[in-house]
Amino acid sequence: MTFVIIAGITFPIVPQPKVWYEFPIIPGLEEKAKIIFFHVPTAWLSVIAFLMAMIYGIKYLRKRNIDDDIKSFASLQLGMMFTILATITGSIWAKFTWGSFWHWDPRETSIFILLLIYGSLLALRSAIDNEDKRASLSAVYSIIAFLTVPFFIFIMPRIMVGLHPGSLELDPDTGKVIQGTNPVVDFKMNANMRIVFFISLFTFTILYFWMYQLRYKALIIKDKISKKII
Amino acid sequence: MENGLIGFFEKNSIYIVMFIILVVWIGIFLFMFRTDKHLKDIEKELQSSSSKGKEN
Repeated sequence: MTFVIIAGITFPIVPQPKVWYEFPIIPGLEEKAKIIFFHVPTAWLSVIAFLMAMIYGIKYLRKRNIDDDIKSFASLQLGMMFTILATITGSIWAKFTWGSFWHWDPRETSIFILLLIYGSLLALRSAIDNEDKRASLSAVYSIIAFLTVPFFIFIMPRIMVGLHPGSLELDPDTGKVIQGTNPVVDFKMNANMRIVFFISLFTFTILYFWMYQLRYKALIIKDKISKKII
Repeated sequence: MENGLIGFFEKNSIYIVMFIILVVWIGIFLFMFRTDKHLKDIEKELQSSSSKGKEN
């Protein structure tokens, strides 16, 4: 836990790596390329958070322990927050790189659908008063919802034509899939960037687990106290 | 005003990155504040329940 706190506090060192001036200049992106150290980890954390929500959902269904449901709920809240953060940071970046805040790019559409799916799960949870019913419904829903996550985050934006780095690009004349003409879409990191990127992913993951533990412990204690008092 | 601000951001794109980092931190801090509020509620409930126990 100490290590986690230290990593959480020392983490802001990552945005200013000493070798920043050695990063290659990507035409059309320049300094904006550095968003990858902050925008991608938020999207990555939302995947981890939804995965954890699914794992604890399965655990709840197997053992019917209400603590597992609370853990799943805490992870869902975190996942929702990081998905919203990824959307906001992405659309700010899009404003300056693509010209407007929202384009209905495949990547933007898929994260929007994800927000709708998990937003409806949170709405469903708040609508049910019965604790056991709410827990089992939310567990089943989070398992089904997570099945769509790899498709929306990893697969769909990569097999469709779009503006987001990593998607396919088409030759406007022939209509065939091409590679390497648009430096923003065909974005590759060099070794320096990759090191910082993976450190950033790692520290963000630690930050997630720290926030997640604080959150679910607070929720579990609150739940227990309210039951005792009543 | 808005055009001036956007123009400034377009010329100095490092500030876009810094602005985005700010957004991420604001999100994380909001979440931590909410967790802190939960903990404060727990403290209050604990205190009120312990004082009730003394009265009884």
